[in-house]
Amino acid sequence: MFKRLRSLFRVLTRRRDFEEGMTEELRFHIEQYADELVRSGMSPEKAARHARLEFGSLDSVKGDCREERGLHLFDEFRRELSYAARLLRKTPGFTATALLTLAVCLGANLTIFAVIDSVLLRPLPFREPDRLMTIFNTYPKAGVERDGSSLTNYYERRGHISAFTSLAIYRYGTEIIGEAGLTDREQTMRVSPDFFSTLGLGPAIGRTFTEEETTSETDHVAILSDTFWRQRYNADPNVIGRLVRVNSVPRTVIGVLPPTFHFLSSDARVFLPLASRAEERTPLRRHSGGNVIQMIARLQPGATLAQAQSQIDAHNAMLEADDPQAKMIADAGFRSMVVPLHADHVAAIRPTLLLLQAGAFALLLIGAVNLVNLLLIRASSRVKELAVRQALGASRAYVVSEVVVETTLLTLVGGLLGLAIGAGGIRLLRVLGADHLPLGGRIAFDAQLASVALVAAIIMGIVLAVPIAWFNLRQHLGNALQSESRGGTSSRAAQILRHSFIVSQIALAFMLLAGAGLLGLSLQRAMAVSPGFQSDHVLTGQILLPWADYSEAARLTFVESLMDKMAYLPGVLSAGVVNNVPFSGISGKSAATVVGHALRPGESARGHYSYGVAGDYFRAMGFSLRAGRFLTADDSRRSQRVCVVDDDFARYYWPHASAVGQRLWDSSEAGRDAEAFTVVGVVGGAKQAGLTEEQAQGAIYYPYAFRIGDSVFVAVRTSLPPESLGLALQKVVRQIDSDIPVNDLRSMETRITDSLVARRSPALLAGLFSGIALLLTAIGTYGVLSYAVAHRRREIGLRMALGAQPGQIRSQFFYLSLRLLAGGTILGVIGAWLTGQAMQAVLFHVPALNLAILVGAAFVMGVVSLIACLLPSHRAAQISPMEALAEE
Amino acid sequence: MDKTAELLPGTLDMLILKAVSLKPLHGYGVMQRIRQISGDAIEIPQGSLYPALYRLEHHDLIAAEWGQSENNRRAKYYTLTATGRRRLRDETAGWNRLATAIAAALNTTSEQV
Repeated sequence: MFKRLRSLFRVLTRRRDFEEGMTEELRFHIEQYADELVRSGMSPEKAARHARLEFGSLDSVKGDCREERGLHLFDEFRRELSYAARLLRKTPGFTATALLTLAVCLGANLTIFAVIDSVLLRPLPFREPDRLMTIFNTYPKAGVERDGSSLTNYYERRGHISAFTSLAIYRYGTEIIGEAGLTDREQTMRVSPDFFSTLGLGPAIGRTFTEEETTSETDHVAILSDTFWRQRYNADPNVIGRLVRVNSVPRTVIGVLPPTFHFLSSDARVFLPLASRAEERTPLRRHSGGNVIQMIARLQPGATLAQAQSQIDAHNAMLEADDPQAKMIADAGFRSMVVPLHADHVAAIRPTLLLLQAGAFALLLIGAVNLVNLLLIRASSRVKELAVRQALGASRAYVVSEVVVETTLLTLVGGLLGLAIGAGGIRLLRVLGADHLPLGGRIAFDAQLASVALVAAIIMGIVLAVPIAWFNLRQHLGNALQSESRGGTSSRAAQILRHSFIVSQIALAFMLLAGAGLLGLSLQRAMAVSPGFQSDHVLTGQILLPWADYSEAARLTFVESLMDKMAYLPGVLSAGVVNNVPFSGISGKSAATVVGHALRPGESARGHYSYGVAGDYFRAMGFSLRAGRFLTADDSRRSQRVCVVDDDFARYYWPHASAVGQRLWDSSEAGRDAEAFTVVGVVGGAKQAGLTEEQAQGAIYYPYAFRIGDSVFVAVRTSLPPESLGLALQKVVRQIDSDIPVNDLRSMETRITDSLVARRSPALLAGLFSGIALLLTAIGTYGVLSYAVAHRRREIGLRMALGAQPGQIRSQFFYLSLRLLAGGTILGVIGAWLTGQAMQAVLFHVPALNLAILVGAAFVMGVVSLIACLLPSHRAAQISPMEALAEE
Repeated sequence: MDKTAELLPGTLDMLILKAVSLKPLHGYGVMQRIRQISGDAIEIPQGSLYPALYRLEHHDLIAAEWGQSENNRRAKYYTLTATGRRRLRDETAGWNRLATAIAAALNTTSEQV
């Protein structure tokens, strides 16, 4: 079998050699024979003729020889291909429409599929990635859905959960790396020693971290990513043992990761041990994860997720047995959840992506229906030609293969064009923010994707051929031949088929339109939500102060001198500092205990957004003051334990009393009386993580001195366009410390706009899809009606000769398209309702069935279909009876 | 009286294999050789010789190579491959068994029944 294929392949690749060789061989034979005849006494001319005659037809012998080699199928295929290509060239309008439709529809699908493939489908680049799990703590009744894991969780669990082969923790961070004067802020990860073995992919050179390297005295080691190694160390193979300065502290390089190492969406370039002190690992710190440290684990072969979950639950229950906080923890609904790592990482984006793929697929269906309709119309104009050919002996298999070759040629060329559109589409998605999706960095247009697209194009070609071949085969030869030039009898079945295609097309386009409308409305409703402060004219930026260079006191001094200098900048109305500005993309809540607040049954200490503020933060951000006063620069000095809370907080704890003067502790338990903070003011509640945040969790603002961290955000209110202040702000910071950059400089309005990208981009894409769908539907309706008019030319001419008015003819076609529109719209409304149901997860305050959207979609659909039917019905009314009847 | 025998279906391939097994031959030579070794009894229809040669080559039973003919012309010479040799042996044995059986059957007289 293999040898035969090889022989066929050899002949196909050297086809000319084969043909020439065959001709020469046969000529040689005939001449040899003629020579022999001459030798036996025949005259040369007579011998030559005799030899040729006796040999028989050269062409038929050659044909038989080719057939023996399996070449005839290819020859036939090539003939059909060139016939199809000729036909397509003869109808450039049809061909261009079909190719464009295919290119756009396949391109749109390819684009979305590229994202689905890299985000949802392609496995993580580790050994047996489906065994990788992540484990996080949740306290749903305290309003904390997700809180990572704590160091204590890690040290208590490892080795005790038999369903896991190993368990590891990590935290993301950034550090200043490099020699003095040449420093860069780099993405880093701090990981436990078993992190790499859990993933099943460790350093390509060197070793991983050891257990001894997990204290802050012994953690002076680092593992480099492949790119960092190449860029900073010129891919030096002897890099092990060299020093790398991290936050000005030298660390020894002990390993380099392979180029394939990519942990989820992280761009970490340097890996450090996750060091901790013994007191950070005690049971008292079990629930102070704070969503900073994350846990991963590898399932034992044969173990299931359910087993792992029940073991974790049992382990937690055992530990909680002697936990003094047990009741509070239980009241908070505490649980540790085990979920697959990959699925968890992409969970938020999954419904949106699937929705977009469904939209793109609907587009493809519309396009396919359009093509089938156009092809059917074409087929019916060729009924007679086909009938003649069948009468002359074309077999049924030939009729079918001809159609398949033609449609596949179309879809394949359309698919190639679609590749170009897909490549462009992927670039468009980058602009729309696809890079920032989880695993979005993997989105790429590669050979694998291209081959999937071409295979899909071929399959589509074959599928498209089915109705056309069916149509061609069911034609009765006799009828077709007899019906003369009247264009054949109007096939009732074919007409119903065409019309039902149009109806389904209108329904699909309607669904897309309604879906895009829902997304748009949802975006609009999200944008209409007030963030709770005046977001205009505010510039914000992040400043990270390395612990090694800045003690707490030094941080305080830095912030104070920054505030002093900012006040003198031209155009600055007010400036302030906060640990974490709203819409920064960073979120963290911590517990607070209100003096005199007795926990109600089922209630637990709640997590609140807790901030340290300095300078004139509230005025800079434009918070409204509801009661009492703002925190001022004076409060930043450690003297007084005061705080400001927001509306939501005040309403929750003191629904009937004034919050001002009340007291609270910044911990999950009551502390000493002297440690309590007094509420001095109430400000308006603000959205923290996003405009669509549903639960008002409440916020507490402490003086900065009580919440010093390594990151601060500056907020500046200005009378100028906020972005114009960026350089001045950076200059001021450099004046204080020339090594410190300002990161993430964005106006507050930009932050809010950016936070909506996950809603805006899908809405834009859905809008684009429905626009294309409308255009395709218009083309489809126009094509079918035009055909109906042309087809019934004689009938119309006859009726007009008998007295029908042009208006009557026009309205006949008008009513036809109205009927199609009505059918499509009714189906579309049902579809839109189902779509809305499926979309609930990604919608914000929008019901599945919105009357305004349905009416709007129906209106747009109606306008488009009626425009599409105007021209054909007008043409029908213009038919001259004389000409129509005289044609023959 | 015509002295040529009717060519049985399926026997052409076997005869070609036999012909080229003796010595590499071009197409015309194959025809002559078959005529010669059958004592002028078998005449191959010229039209079916070449399709048969191409089929056998396609199935890797014979191999073709361009060479020089007796009268110094370029000609395509066919030789038997290892697979072809095996096939020829099998077919010869099969044919002999069949021929013996048929001859025995046809020579049966009424006394032997």
